[in-house]
Amino acid sequence: MFHKRLYQFVFIYILGIGFLFLIKKVLNLSDYVIPSPVEIYETGRKVFLRYIPDVLNTLSVAIIGHVLSIFMATIIGIISRLSNWIGSFIKTAAFNIQAYPIVAVAPIIFILLGDGLSSRLLIAAMICYFPLLLSFIGILSEPVVDIEHFYVHSGKMRWQLEVKIRAFENMNKLVTVISGSATLAMVGTIVSEFIGASSGIGYSIRIALYQSDLAKILIALFLIGIFTSLYLAFLEWLGRIVVRKWEHNS
Amino acid sequence: MIECKNINYKYHGTQYPVFNDLSCKIDEPGFHALFGLSGVGKSTLARLIAGQLDGFTGKIDNKTGKIFYSYNLERLPGWSSVGEHIAKVTPVQNKNRINEIIESFGLSSCIDSGFSHLSLGQRNRINLARYLLQDFDFLIMDESLANVDEATREQIIFKIKDMYPQKTFLYISHSVAEVSMFCKNIIVLRSFQKSPQSLTVLGQDDTTGKSVERKNLEKTMLEIVNVS
Repeated sequence: MFHKRLYQFVFIYILGIGFLFLIKKVLNLSDYVIPSPVEIYETGRKVFLRYIPDVLNTLSVAIIGHVLSIFMATIIGIISRLSNWIGSFIKTAAFNIQAYPIVAVAPIIFILLGDGLSSRLLIAAMICYFPLLLSFIGILSEPVVDIEHFYVHSGKMRWQLEVKIRAFENMNKLVTVISGSATLAMVGTIVSEFIGASSGIGYSIRIALYQSDLAKILIALFLIGIFTSLYLAFLEWLGRIVVRKWEHNS
Repeated sequence: MIECKNINYKYHGTQYPVFNDLSCKIDEPGFHALFGLSGVGKSTLARLIAGQLDGFTGKIDNKTGKIFYSYNLERLPGWSSVGEHIAKVTPVQNKNRINEIIESFGLSSCIDSGFSHLSLGQRNRINLARYLLQDFDFLIMDESLANVDEATREQIIFKIKDMYPQKTFLYISHSVAEVSMFCKNIIVLRSFQKSPQSLTVLGQDDTTGKSVERKNLEKTMLEIVNVS
């Protein structure tokens, strides 16, 4: 699974680079705009090792933000099942807030919290939180009538059991949603680093951008792709283990 | 025990009512049936009696006590074996009945399996078993023995009659022969355009499998077919 993800990414990356060279050739652009393969290789030799800690820094923030979002979405998703005003309020609020591009409020976060870890973490968490929350609300609010009927009418239903039934019945969906939102967490972290942070691969890309050094940016993108692919593959692997374990029990 | 008086009911967004001044009653314990053509409202009436639907006019008098409604599409959660599930949902005072029911329903071999690994007939029997282990007074069995072979179905019905002589059952089935043979009273539900919308036919109420005369059985079957 891990190597499949990596192969897929490398294939797409090579296609992307090829497309860049095609544009360079067709439009007759200079090496200053799009560097030659040799220059990219030389830049790679210089910055590859230096960029790895930056990517790991970004990835670790994204992972923490992602885990926080999953945790929060689970709690809010559970509360939103309620059929009273709290549940309705949470659902309405979630649907409205997710319609707003959260990244636009990033500058406010930097003004309030500074350019440190907390700002990056908050933005990463916020960007992947709402899509997660909407899916969790959908899954946890939808009754599994054929299973719940007995518990409801025999008076044995408890909220923990209700959540367990709905989560179990939608385990594949939950795993897919969690894996999908990991990319959003990474996007959120990198965007926050572009805007105002003082560390991480997004910050390194920003510096490279100021230097108009496309080679450095391409190396950074390569590393981001590799590590994001590894994280996604890890989540998918974890998800398969959980689904298999639950299916085995059943 | 249960009496439905002048029930009128229409699903939201539909043109025609399901029930138009429907009245029927079950006034003694035993094994009764609700019979009718597909779409005539058997499950709807069952759910009204069980208190799972509202928005109707008329009156349902329940002097029987706790009503349960089981149907054939129900599932058990997948995270534990059916045996563990049954043990968990059975009230303490009924635990001594688990083995008897499981054995007489022919389920001993699948007690350690997960619900999704069972055949449709086994699933329905397990589902019915867990309802029978609850503290109920009136149990509605909405095609609860669907996909179960005839011999096992007969054995299960006799066992239920033997174990619960004081309880009331409302058995919903599409088999005229089955309801004629095993049930005390058969409430035949008809289209809302017919008046009265339901008629009750006296069944053979067989408890042993040998005592019903073929002639009487055929008479009951004919009567049901004629009124439906």
